Amino acid sequence: MAEVTTTAANTPTAESTPLLDATDLQIELITAHGVVRAVDGVSFTVRRGETVTLIGESGSGKSTTAMGVLRLLPEGLAVMSGSVRIAGRDVVADPGAARAVRGRTVSLIPQDPMTALSPVHTIGRQLGDALRLRHPGMSRTQARDKGVELLAQVRIPQPRTRWKAYPHQFSGGMLQRILIATALAAEPELLVADEPTSALDATVQASVLDLLMELQERTGIGMLMITHDLGVARLVSDRIHVMKDGRFVESGSAEDIVERPAEPYTRELLAAVPRLGAWDEDGDERTEPVAQGAAP
Amino acid sequence: MPTYLARRIGQSVLTVFLTLTTVFLLVRLAPGDPASAYAAPNATSADLARIREQFGLDDPLIVQYGLFLRDLFTGDLGTSYSFHSPALDVVLDRIPYTVTLAVSAIAVTTLVAVPLGVWMARRADTRRELGANVLTIAGQSMPDFWTGVMLLTVFAVVLPVLPASGFTSWSGLVLPTATVAVLQLALVSRLVRREMTTALASSYITVARSRGVRESALTWRYALANSAVPLVTALGTRFAALLNGVVVVEVVFGWPGVGSLVVRALETRDYPLIQATVLVTATLAILVQLLVDLAYPLLDPRVRLGKAA
Repeated sequence: MAEVTTTAANTPTAESTPLLDATDLQIELITAHGVVRAVDGVSFTVRRGETVTLIGESGSGKSTTAMGVLRLLPEGLAVMSGSVRIAGRDVVADPGAARAVRGRTVSLIPQDPMTALSPVHTIGRQLGDALRLRHPGMSRTQARDKGVELLAQVRIPQPRTRWKAYPHQFSGGMLQRILIATALAAEPELLVADEPTSALDATVQASVLDLLMELQERTGIGMLMITHDLGVARLVSDRIHVMKDGRFVESGSAEDIVERPAEPYTRELLAAVPRLGAWDEDGDERTEPVAQGAAP
Repeated sequence: MPTYLARRIGQSVLTVFLTLTTVFLLVRLAPGDPASAYAAPNATSADLARIREQFGLDDPLIVQYGLFLRDLFTGDLGTSYSFHSPALDVVLDRIPYTVTLAVSAIAVTTLVAVPLGVWMARRADTRRELGANVLTIAGQSMPDFWTGVMLLTVFAVVLPVLPASGFTSWSGLVLPTATVAVLQLALVSRLVRREMTTALASSYITVARSRGVRESALTWRYALANSAVPLVTALGTRFAALLNGVVVVEVVFGWPGVGSLVVRALETRDYPLIQATVLVTATLAILVQLLVDLAYPLLDPRVRLGKAA
C-alpha cells in the first residue's frame, strides 16, 4: 500500500535522508516514584511513503517514544539522550529544531480526539490557525476556504456549515477526522499517529485507518504509527517494532512479524488478536532489516 | 432564553424580597432601641415613648411589616431617623462612591492578578515563582485595616504624595483601591495560577503545540480562554461583595461609601436606612451575579442556560 515516491523527493539528499532517524534514543521520566527509564536505547527510521509501527502493551514506552520524537514531553520532567533527526535536524540536541519542524515537517495525530481540541474554540478557528501558521500570508477567508476543502477531504459532511461548530458538537470519529485535517494543514512530510484509533468504535476505527492509508497513497507522507493493536499494525505497516519495557524485542517487516514471530512476547500479542484470515500479501517487497532490537 | 431570563429575574426579585424580610425581622429582634439612640441623652421615658410612636415602633410587628410592604411597593423606604431624609436617597447618594471603588479595585485586581497568575503557572515550581507565591500568601494574610494604615503612613504621611482621606480628587481613589486590591489580588492570582496550570497541562495544549502554535498563543489564547469561566465567576463574586461596601477600608480612608453608612445605620438602629441599604446592595449583587451567569455561554459554548442552571 505504500511505495517510496521518488517523485515527491526532488533533491538527492531528500531521497537518501530518512524523514525520521532515531538512534539510540533514551528517555528518562522523572516521576513521583523516582526516575524511570521509559525508553531504553531504541533506533528506527521512517522514510518517505512508508509506515513504521511501534507496537506494545501500555507502559511499554511506545507513546513516550512518539511524544519524545516531537519533543512534546513535559520540559524538565523528561530527559532525552541519543539522537532524533527529523529531516536532518536533531531535535534531541536542539529544542529549537523541534519547534521548527512541528507544524511544518511533522504533524501529530493524537490519542484521544475528544480532548485534543480546545473546547471553547470553534474547529474552524483551530484549523484556520493551523493553516495560517503554515502560510503566514494567508487571510482568514483564504484559510477558511482551504480549511473547508481539507474537511471535505477527510469526509466531514457539510464542511462549510460545520466550520463554526465546536468540538463537543462532533462524535469521536468526526473529531479524529478533523484532527487529521488539522495535521494535514501543515502539509507535513511525516505524521506521528499516537494510537489514532484506540479511543474510537471498531467501525469508526476502520474508516479512520482507511483515510490515513488513502492519504499516504496520495501524498507519499511517511508515518510513525503507535498502537497496541496488532490488527491495526498489520493493516497499515511496512515495518513493525515490537516494544516492551522501553526496548525493541523484535523488529521486521509487517509480514515477518505477523507470520513468523520469533519472540514469545510477540506471539502473546498475536494471540490476543482475533484471526482475520490469511495475511493479505500486497506485493510490498521493501523490507529493510533493522539491525537492533534483540531481547535483553 | 427569554424564558430563562424571566425565570431568573423572578428568582432575583424573590431573593431580594426574602432578604429584605429577614433583615426587617432581624434588626427588630436584635437588642437596642432606635428611640434611645435618636433621643437626647437626657430624654425622659415619655420622650422615648413619643419618638417610638412617631416612628411607628409601638405597633405590633405584623402591622409594622404590613406598613413596610405597602410603602415598599410605592418605592418608599421610609425616612432615615438620623439623616431626616428619605432613606433610599441617602443610600443612593453613597452608591456612586462604592461603585467607583469596587470597579477600580476589580479593574486593578484583574490587570495585575491575571498576568501574575499566568506567569506563576508558566514558571510553576521555580524559585522565583515560589517567591511570588509567598508574597501573594502574605498579601492574602494581611488584614485590610493594617494594609490600609501602612499605605496611609507611607504615601500620605512619610511621603505626602496622595491624599489621606475622602474623595475630593481622583488621586483620593489610589490608596483605597490599592488596599482593597492587595487582598483580592492574592486570591485571584492564585486562582488564575491553579486554573492555568491545569489548562496548560491539557491534551489540547500539547496537540496545539504539535501544530507549531507558539507558546504565547498557547498561554494567552488557548489556556486563558479555557480558564475564563472560573475566573469570571471569581471576579464576579468579588465584585458583588465589594458592592456591599468595604467597611474597614472606608472607615480608614474616610471614604463616603455604603460600608461606612451601614455602620452608622446599625449604630443608631436606623431601621429604614438599614433596610434601604440592604435593598440596594442586594439588588446590585444579584444583578452582577445574573450578568456573570449570562456571560457563561459566551465563555464556554458547552454551557446552555436553563439546562442545568
